[in-house]
Amino acid sequence: MNTILLLLILLPLFGAFLLPVVGRHLPRRAVEIIACASVLGSLVMAIVAFFIGGQKTYVLTLLPWINVNDFSAAMSVYYNPVAAIMALMVTFVSSLIHLYSVSFMREDEDYVRYFCYMNLFVFAMLIITLSDNLIFLYLGWEGVGFCSYALIGFWYHDIGNAIAGRKAFYLTRIGDFAFGIAIGLFFITFKELSIFYINGHALSLGAKMATVFGLLLLWAAVGKSAQLPLVVWLPDAMAGPTPVSALIHAATMVTAGVYLLMRMFPVILQSPAALFVIALVGAVTSFYAACSALAQKDIKRILAYSTISQVSYMLLGVGAGDIIGSMFHLLTHAFFKALLFLGAGCVIQALHEEHDIFQMGNLRDRLPVVYWLFLAGALSLGALPFTGGFFSKDRILLATLSHPELSYKLLWGLAALTALLTPLYTFRLFFIAFLRRPGRIDREIRPIPKLMVWVLWPLAFLSLFGGFLSLPAIWSGGEWLSQYLVSVPGTISLNIPPSFEWGMEIGSGFAAVAILIIAYFLYYPTPFSFRAFWEELLFTGFYLDWLYQKMVVLPYEGIAKFLWLKIDEGSLDQGIDQTGNFLPIFSAGLRQWTTGRLSTYLKMLLLGFTAILLALAVGWYYF
Amino acid sequence: MIVPYSHLLLLAVLLFVLGAVCSVSHRNLVMILIGVEIMLNAAGLAFIGASLHWQKLEGQAFFLFILAVAASEVAVGLALLVYSQRRTHSVDSNDYSLLKG
Repeated sequence: MNTILLLLILLPLFGAFLLPVVGRHLPRRAVEIIACASVLGSLVMAIVAFFIGGQKTYVLTLLPWINVNDFSAAMSVYYNPVAAIMALMVTFVSSLIHLYSVSFMREDEDYVRYFCYMNLFVFAMLIITLSDNLIFLYLGWEGVGFCSYALIGFWYHDIGNAIAGRKAFYLTRIGDFAFGIAIGLFFITFKELSIFYINGHALSLGAKMATVFGLLLLWAAVGKSAQLPLVVWLPDAMAGPTPVSALIHAATMVTAGVYLLMRMFPVILQSPAALFVIALVGAVTSFYAACSALAQKDIKRILAYSTISQVSYMLLGVGAGDIIGSMFHLLTHAFFKALLFLGAGCVIQALHEEHDIFQMGNLRDRLPVVYWLFLAGALSLGALPFTGGFFSKDRILLATLSHPELSYKLLWGLAALTALLTPLYTFRLFFIAFLRRPGRIDREIRPIPKLMVWVLWPLAFLSLFGGFLSLPAIWSGGEWLSQYLVSVPGTISLNIPPSFEWGMEIGSGFAAVAILIIAYFLYYPTPFSFRAFWEELLFTGFYLDWLYQKMVVLPYEGIAKFLWLKIDEGSLDQGIDQTGNFLPIFSAGLRQWTTGRLSTYLKMLLLGFTAILLALAVGWYYF
Repeated sequence: MIVPYSHLLLLAVLLFVLGAVCSVSHRNLVMILIGVEIMLNAAGLAFIGASLHWQKLEGQAFFLFILAVAASEVAVGLALLVYSQRRTHSVDSNDYSLLKG
């Protein structure tokens, strides 16, 4: 088990090291093979670990790391069913996206750098997934942040991309700051940084302390998972290559925040207040992002807002105390969102880097395979009945509704409203981009490589049938995922009367279909749009960027300018300059003596010696 | 000792000042070297006088050292002088001003 897990983590790192060292001297095909093989190897290890590990929990130390007095941090892993599922998902999606990237980046000259960062990202993500030690986890946490930054700004020749990367880096850093504090507090409280140990001793925390921890971890998750109020970086992060958006900003990294909360769930469980705040942030963000997605024009930005909204559902699931539902949604979301992003990547390349959905159209005839695959993803995202998204989203909604607290009913209302908006924006995108619209002239299509379409098939299959991973009992399903995760501390099984559950499922199913029909009439053949004011409000994401600009960036720039011009340049530099101007007055006299004549120097030497000797003599005589 | 110690010291001081003035006032490098030699010998004279005055041998031993230093200094100094003269065709100390700021 030790070796398997070590290989699982180290294979992508091996690739990330090998590529920059020798990649430039290898043919392109070899670089692609190294990059894909290291991730595929990791996938194989994850599968092996899954079958060997079963439902057992392993806490293993892979390598010793830091040892100072009573403080020690080892590179240790905590392998339990949640980590197993997550590792499988991460390596599986990464493998497919690496394969996709081979085709997607076929014309890019910088493929070595690209694959190096991608491999490094998978390595860091696996650390987050598996790590037991919080410091080790932090390494991965920062690692994915770095790779995300480097890949958003991958085409850094365009200054906008570099700025988007920087923005993502800053905003996630605000969250990481809280995580750093949480780690420090954990060490002070427990004298131990092992997640396994902390979870085991979570009961000894008071409710107050648990609330503090819960809120700090939530703050960390908010940064990483792009939730309110740190939401603004994710739509801009779409500046990166599309496979990067699919892997990092949809399937894996943005869910790391939620995953952290699941991982430390026993701690959070001690504090009802923290749970409620988590659920609140989830519900509000999901509604916010779904509204914003309704008015976007860029296909990737729609998907980005949708990602924010779906990750919020997972957060809501955690807040409602149902981490199985949350994990379930994390899985199905990873599949359908990766599918949608990769599909969007195909469309974008076929249309010569066109991002605007209003410039697309009639793709049904021109890209039939992508059309059907994208439809599969859209159905799952819209939670149409029997798709993966339907079951996972309903489970979270059920868990929220059946929560004993009354305030959760309100959150359920918000989440249910979002669930109605989701198919609306999804099919707005779908109908506008893929169906024939009158009065549009089709542009020519650039052929896309077959490989890019092939990798969509397994994702489409999982999007549509992902629900069978944990089919609810009322559908006479085995609830395999719930059974598998049941040994994880903090999981609950929802005890809901079947009639109630049936009502919910039928209701949401019909609602989704109804919304689908409404969307058809709203957006086909001529797309409906709100009044200019509302359109603008939603398009800018409720002016959140503008608010940040006014509230944070401008004051900061003001302070910086003041410090720079008045304090640094005005006071310090001027002061030093003035002192410098003052000194030559002294030195002007001394300069006379540097004549360059030997005799002058000798004279000086003799006079100096005489003076010293005289002083000594006087001293000797009189003192 | 017939000559009183103070006379001897006076002579040594006189010689030293003569040497110093010689090396300071001349611009010819040879004359500067001669001035330095005279100053060294003035110091040697003071050592010898002190040695006789206190009946200690260390003073004379020190003079032997000074002789050796003076001899080697002249050897090196003259060699440098000859070499410099060949390079610049001048023995004027003011012509050697490469280090002047």
